[in-house]
Amino acid sequence: MRLITTGFLCLTATTFGEPVGFNRDVRPILSKNCFTCHGPDSHGRKSELRLDLREQALKGGESGKPAIVPGKPDESPLIARILSKDPDVLMPPPESHLELRDSDRAVLRQWIEEGAAYEGHWAFQAPKKATLPEVPTAGDHPVDRFIAARHATEKLSFSPEADPLVLIRRLTFDLTGLPPAPEEIAAFQQALAERPATAYSELVDRLLASPRFGEQMAARWLDASRYADTNGYSIDGGRHQWLWRDWVIKAYNDNKPYNTFITEQLAGDLLPGATEQQIVATGFNRNHAITHEGGTIPEENIVNYVADRVKTTSEAILGLTMACAQCHDHKYDPLSQRDFYRFYAFFNTLGDAAHAGDGGKNAAPAIDALSCFADPAEAAAIIEQLARLRQQLEVPLPEAQARQEAAWRADLATRGRDFKTFPLEVVAATAPNGNPDRIRIEPDLSVSIRGGDYAAYNVLCRLPTAQGPLRGLRVVFHPTDAAKGKLGFGGAGGLEGNFVLNTLTTSTSSFPAGNVDLNGQLPMVRFTASSSQPGHWPEEIASTATDGGWAPATGATTPQHVTVTFAEPIDPAATPYLTTELMFNYGRNISPARFQIQAFTGHDDGSPHPEEVTAILAADPATLTPEQQARLKAHFQAHAPEKALIRQQIANLEERHAVLTRKHSVLVMDTSPKPRVTHILDRGLYSSPKEAVTPGTPAALPPLAEPADRPLNRLDLAHWMTRPDHPLTARVAVNTLWESLFGKGIAASSADFGSQAEWPSHPELLDWLAVDFVENGWDVKRMIRGIVTSRTYRQSSNTSAELLDRDPRNDLLARGPRLRLSAEQIRDQALATSGLLVERLGGPSVRPYQPGDLWRQISHFGSSPATSQTFIQDHGEKLYRRTLYTYWKRTLPPVNLAIFDAPNREVCAIGRAATNTPLQALVLLNDPQFVEAARAFAQQLLQSSYPDDPARLAAAFSRMTGRPAAAAELAALQKALVRERQRYHSDPAAAESLLAIGESPRDPALPAPEHAAWTQVASLVLNLSETVTKH
Amino acid sequence: MLDNLTLNRRAFLGRSANGLGHAALSSLIMSSMAKAARGETVEPDDFRRFAPKAKRVIFLFQSGGPSHVDLFDGKPALDKLHGSGLPDSVRGGQRVTGMTSGQSSFPVVKPIAPGKPCGPAGVWISDLLPWTQKIAGEICVIRSMHTEAINHDPGITLANTGSMQLGNASMGAWVSYGLGSDNQNMPAFMVLLSQGTGKNPDQPIFSRLWGSGFLPSRHQGVLLQAGKDPVLYLDNPAGVTRPQRRELLDDLAGLNGHFADATGDPETVARIHAYEMAFRMQASVPELTDLSNESTETFDIYGPESRKPGTYAANCLLARRLAERGVRFIQLFHRGWDQHIAITKQLPNQCRDTDQPSAALIMDLKRRGLLEDTLVIWGGEFGRTVFSQGDPKSASAGRDHHGRCFSIWMAGAGVKPGHVHGETDDFCWNITKDPVHLRDLHATILQQMGIDHHRLVYPYRGLDQKLTGVEPAKVIAPILA
Repeated sequence: MRLITTGFLCLTATTFGEPVGFNRDVRPILSKNCFTCHGPDSHGRKSELRLDLREQALKGGESGKPAIVPGKPDESPLIARILSKDPDVLMPPPESHLELRDSDRAVLRQWIEEGAAYEGHWAFQAPKKATLPEVPTAGDHPVDRFIAARHATEKLSFSPEADPLVLIRRLTFDLTGLPPAPEEIAAFQQALAERPATAYSELVDRLLASPRFGEQMAARWLDASRYADTNGYSIDGGRHQWLWRDWVIKAYNDNKPYNTFITEQLAGDLLPGATEQQIVATGFNRNHAITHEGGTIPEENIVNYVADRVKTTSEAILGLTMACAQCHDHKYDPLSQRDFYRFYAFFNTLGDAAHAGDGGKNAAPAIDALSCFADPAEAAAIIEQLARLRQQLEVPLPEAQARQEAAWRADLATRGRDFKTFPLEVVAATAPNGNPDRIRIEPDLSVSIRGGDYAAYNVLCRLPTAQGPLRGLRVVFHPTDAAKGKLGFGGAGGLEGNFVLNTLTTSTSSFPAGNVDLNGQLPMVRFTASSSQPGHWPEEIASTATDGGWAPATGATTPQHVTVTFAEPIDPAATPYLTTELMFNYGRNISPARFQIQAFTGHDDGSPHPEEVTAILAADPATLTPEQQARLKAHFQAHAPEKALIRQQIANLEERHAVLTRKHSVLVMDTSPKPRVTHILDRGLYSSPKEAVTPGTPAALPPLAEPADRPLNRLDLAHWMTRPDHPLTARVAVNTLWESLFGKGIAASSADFGSQAEWPSHPELLDWLAVDFVENGWDVKRMIRGIVTSRTYRQSSNTSAELLDRDPRNDLLARGPRLRLSAEQIRDQALATSGLLVERLGGPSVRPYQPGDLWRQISHFGSSPATSQTFIQDHGEKLYRRTLYTYWKRTLPPVNLAIFDAPNREVCAIGRAATNTPLQALVLLNDPQFVEAARAFAQQLLQSSYPDDPARLAAAFSRMTGRPAAAAELAALQKALVRERQRYHSDPAAAESLLAIGESPRDPALPAPEHAAWTQVASLVLNLSETVTKH
Repeated sequence: MLDNLTLNRRAFLGRSANGLGHAALSSLIMSSMAKAARGETVEPDDFRRFAPKAKRVIFLFQSGGPSHVDLFDGKPALDKLHGSGLPDSVRGGQRVTGMTSGQSSFPVVKPIAPGKPCGPAGVWISDLLPWTQKIAGEICVIRSMHTEAINHDPGITLANTGSMQLGNASMGAWVSYGLGSDNQNMPAFMVLLSQGTGKNPDQPIFSRLWGSGFLPSRHQGVLLQAGKDPVLYLDNPAGVTRPQRRELLDDLAGLNGHFADATGDPETVARIHAYEMAFRMQASVPELTDLSNESTETFDIYGPESRKPGTYAANCLLARRLAERGVRFIQLFHRGWDQHIAITKQLPNQCRDTDQPSAALIMDLKRRGLLEDTLVIWGGEFGRTVFSQGDPKSASAGRDHHGRCFSIWMAGAGVKPGHVHGETDDFCWNITKDPVHLRDLHATILQQMGIDHHRLVYPYRGLDQKLTGVEPAKVIAPILA
């Protein structure tokens, strides 16, 4: 990055014989090479020499001689030192590993020759509106006039306006994150024909008014605010913070003025008469990672949390890297360690705890609040939808039910055949964090537990070899005196004297393995129990969900068992050891008292159905009473795969209804009755507190006076940040908006406006926009409208080799923006074009497809009540929500998004890279989400009427790219279609396999080979470089 | 730089209408143009200051804090001190974690198993590690590692990213950023995970440990998993064959060529090549993970678990295969070393899982001539306390975290074989000679790869970021041949 830019800057400074500018040309050189030892950091300073202040540089350091003699480079020791051949004299010294280039030396020399003028750091001076440059060809638009002025000095000019089809796609992605729908394109084309002068601005207005606008804009702010659905650090359990995320979306949709947007997030709770939503907004400063790792030191954790609030607030809002001053004065910027801790003091007054967030419970302070999207009309519509779905669930499927009943009866017919159990020899029984003394292996080969808040027990058994292959396991639970004659230690909630077995996992091994092999888990196919507490059925032990599981009937005083049958019998001769992990209801303190693990041969003698259903299935079907028939039908509806989609949709809508009508928890800021005192921490260490400080803002920025009667608070800070003459807030905001449209800010380092920052490509434009933003009420939509209606934005992004060569990063904007779509946009586009997208606003995050259970591989499952330790995929509409609603686990962010450069959200991230890797190809080609999207896209094409293949192919191409295909492109698609059609016609089984991917139903009326062939064409179009590029 | 761009122009202008052939020819320069357009540095290489000794690194990361007291730093003095309290003068006000800060006494516990001096340097190695004892002549044990961290999250984050703070890039990502890939069919940085049988579930790990942090995400470690999709999304969907995929990718390349021609987009040309590499990976990764051509004898030296996918042993064998294929940075993460509880039960299991495969990897690399340019490191984020956590007489006794000193070993690629570096006091508590910070280890790894750690930088948030950070770091010169 530096190679290119600084090279470029040197050209501007010296080639054209202009005077050097301190901020543009000199400061970057001094900052990078000199300030570490001769800059603002008082502790790191060498020879008492400062070069960041003119007065000091002219006075000199401890030698007492000036370092710089203005106008006389040859008499300036600085020049002598940078030219010296003597390594002991040379600056920067060789051991610093810093080296000046010849061009740097030339700039410094010229600067001293010209008088060594200093300027205050540009970004710390209040922006002023410069007079708009007069460029005859630029038109009236202020943006274009600044851009064209630079073009004039660089001998460049605007590219022609982009084709309308390109433009509507660019704009629709930029403002909504989605591709334009075909009817939207048609409407735009018609409008252009009818009202050429206004069609484009009408389009801009329509998109800015779309509810999708807030979703698109929020994505960047979620990265900056390190929003996630888990607590982070090592255990990384779940939290509930989506109410805050929804507040952000709505704030953008409502066009909340940026100063209010910031004020409510920093200090909504301190506003007079704060509303619930204003308090929700303060979740911004609680999005940081929080730990409850045992052994971590409370004071250290608190310092980490507060420091992260400083880091995020300063980077995201002020473009300041304040985190650098946590341990020492900033090396480059005039930010002292004292400034850091005074800023820190604003965020150190809440009543949060050092260890918090375990068990899926939000770390205090948290409030219960209503969603900002709680819309009674949607809630009412959902009630109606639910009624319809429940009716659909009731629709009889006589054939399917008959098939299912026959299968159940056949299974029950084998029940208990040749059934024989063998108690297994227990070699070891352990729990990860429990005291081993509290687990005992009894003489009868059972394992007894002295109660206590245990987690997952690992029981290692030796298998009997004389019995041949073993079909499954039975775990028998015994009453004990310790449990007062009952089976377990449950105390309440209908589980008195009971326990819950959440999850059972088993694996075999050739040697005695203390723990289950996650890669070798034995698949289980049949689950039965001697009795079950209603709602706690045996099949639930196959799931890793911590809130479900099997429990025997509460109150049992006789042994009860649960039995699982493996998909394949296990052979003790090959693997004589079996390890079973039994996860009991951790955190609710309801473990069992004593249990014994048995293996069995033959067929389990239990029934997988509730007792009364088993009896009905055993009876002669002809004799069933209407009540019995109804019970059987209900059992079918609850279990039949044919009804799965309806059941899932009912569950999803019930949850949605609760989202719209009930209050939910969210982490927020508050003020403790006894706020912590903030100290300067020596070297940033929690254990080295020094002088106490009160809240305050950095000395180098505009002053903020402390009231006489109280310390400054976050609301004062918010007002200070949003004062009209603040040098940073508005600049950073407009720069970020610019970056979201062009892929790069006017100041390229958008999170660092300090002295190490790159000189802006168009500083006067940046300042003009910043002032204009403030003058017009910090109106975000107005600012975006202003930028996207410019000629600069509307240019074609097509490039000539010369231009690419001249300006690879497009700093000079002689062409329009071109950028790979973001991770979210790529997935959303696939969902939108295939008709799968479910456009609901807000709500709890969802878990669409993800391969395997990556979470469990890295997590603390079995040792912690923390939630989200295992990945449990959602179903139904939750697979097709917009991507910003995907559940964000910080220690393993959604893999298909991380591959497309999504950050992990552990810390503030401003802007994303757009890389281009083979793994991205694999996602687009093979991820079930994208394969399913291709199938659904193909289905849409086949369900619409087109005269012939070429017409249908043309539609596919233009739906994805937004433009008609050229003849050669159409021919290539036609060739692929013919080939794939032939392939799948000769191999219909392959077609069926491909079409079985994804959970959305397929139209069975479409012939499989034809549908599969079109799926490949759809995948081809989905994978086009153009498809994933905004251009 | 200028030459490159000039070449670019020629290549670009010289392209014919169907583009593709030319695009393929101009692959390298086009991808550097794409990089330039993204604003990325084009191959900075002024950090290459040394002739590289290592072509690749295999880091056998032992997560949780292996007990140096029990495994590599046992000493006769501990027999005498056994049962006595750790003197305050030794403890030196050292902070302990919240797990043991409430303990009223800190009784010293000698190693749970005997050990013996091994190899030419006579370094003490536990009998729990009989295979490691046998390779003592090949490895260099460092007994004087230290870290500021005393808890897992900050500790393991520092060990892998150079900082306890979140958001930094991992070692492997830095190496990938600096040196790129040596194999057009494989990523530069691959990661394998396994779980110990000593303690389950042990401390969590996280993708941050192999993440790219502020570096471009292409440098993040790619997980190589047990099971049918060794790299996520590697397999074609059901109903799609490899020859079919080839034809579809040809179609795709043709269509992308049209777009590149029409718009002059170097990124699209780079994308054509990314798809080609994906296609090659679909062959090279299964070939890599297919162990059917490994001899029985090889499986035997790695131990029986090496036939079982996802185990540490299988991962060690895969590490050798990755090394053979030119993957630059190969990192295994093995969990289960956090013996707060029941150390006498758990630690032997951990050792059984890892001892033979780790030693086998060294022997296997050596006999294939790979050890001389492969740097192997075995170690975790910190050590464990010499004092007992809990009543030392109870079966539940364990050891707490200890960052003031711990042991690791290194081998290959210019590291002195049969060497020992650093000493600790009689209590295995304080370092008495040659302290080595984790940053020094990072500096040494980079140096062996031919990289000056001061100069491999990435500008981010106003700072030239480095793996070794802003605190001083020095290469561990005495261990280098």
